[in-house]
Amino acid sequence: MNDGFKYRAPTSRAELFGLLAAHGEGAKILAGGTDLLVDIRSGLVRPELVINLKKVEDFPELVWSQSQGLIIGPATTVNDVLHDPKVRDCYPLLAECALSIASHQLRNRATVIGNIVHASPGADMAPGLLCLGARVQIASQRGRRELFLKDFFTGVKRTVLGHDEIVESITVPAGTARSRGSYRKLKRIDGHDLSLVGVALTNTDGDVRVGIGSAAPTPLLIEGLTDQDPADAVVAAARAAIRPISDLRCSKEYREYMIEVFVRRLLEEVR
Amino acid sequence: MWMSVEVNGHIYEREVTEHWTLLRFLREDLELTGTKDGCSAGECGACTVMLNGQAVNACMVLAAEADGATVETIEAEAVDGELSEIQAAFARNYAVQCGYCTAGMVMSVRELLEHNPKPTVAEIKEGIEGNLCRCTGYQQIIEAVLDVSGQIDSKSRGGLKYV
Repeated sequence: MNDGFKYRAPTSRAELFGLLAAHGEGAKILAGGTDLLVDIRSGLVRPELVINLKKVEDFPELVWSQSQGLIIGPATTVNDVLHDPKVRDCYPLLAECALSIASHQLRNRATVIGNIVHASPGADMAPGLLCLGARVQIASQRGRRELFLKDFFTGVKRTVLGHDEIVESITVPAGTARSRGSYRKLKRIDGHDLSLVGVALTNTDGDVRVGIGSAAPTPLLIEGLTDQDPADAVVAAARAAIRPISDLRCSKEYREYMIEVFVRRLLEEVR
Repeated sequence: MWMSVEVNGHIYEREVTEHWTLLRFLREDLELTGTKDGCSAGECGACTVMLNGQAVNACMVLAAEADGATVETIEAEAVDGELSEIQAAFARNYAVQCGYCTAGMVMSVRELLEHNPKPTVAEIKEGIEGNLCRCTGYQQIIEAVLDVSGQIDSKSRGGLKYV
């Protein structure tokens, strides 16, 4: 690991926000660490300060309520979501997305919010959260703001987050609980691998939404469809939205083809 | 940073280098070299240890994050020179060849069996998904897990079946 960075583990939001405001770009947030420590080791990021946010006591935790829906906190791990009885009951799609990520050991550390904030085009939590209408609550010393997850990503590993801001929670509305839908992730092997493409599709009382990963600079959401639309129309909407590339994992053409296959299969399941 | 961590039942209080991983701390500071460094990127699972009762890649945790935590490594597996049940099943089923993956593999199997005492073959594969083994082809490891979970009868268990 590159030397030179300092480590702090603040215990309150105020202390955390103060550190972020003081260090700006030089500070990096450590939640699960499964992306950050890899990026530090490979020299992609060279922080002067690493701030562990898992000791902050006044952060939200994973909780469900009829009024607010599902709240996911900064320290909520992928396995927390995967094994939560309420998630499995109300949002089985999120459990499916969670299970598709990495290996058991990594899921014990990796956080859901980290998966989103890292903003990989192939972030596996994104297609499901996008379909379910998730919102992102952002906080800093300057105050709070909230936006839809679909407006959060701005490019490959880029988001609207400022250097002094963190994502304090992601909320999933109660209105999309028990939506019918599923996630399909194409990998090179059955085990631990990144996605070639990942497609989630939900039907919420006739309203069909498609979330797609690894097919554009950011995870995509396609809205405004219904379960009465012909499959060809849903496929056309997906094709119009995606901008896949060829890379070391597979070709652009294979991605386009498999997205169509997954959209047709998933649509059939939720009709 | 000054920290206190319980490793294999012993409390260690000492200064830790802030940018060191838990893996480096275990191997170089505490000289517990049973835990192996494979890929340093969370891909191979050779460094799997238990942190507060959960299997994690020690290369993906900063040592400083373990302040106040409980860590268990492969060194805690055998007690007074007696192999643990998992270790004995690995030996009986020839689930160890070069041995580099074994420490991490045993940790992952322990976590799997704590949650699921009689896993199916598919569940075993999922449980050790984060642990690469380049020698065995996994079959002997899967049989060791079936054996230690009482799913192979005593007459047909163990031995060299694939040479």
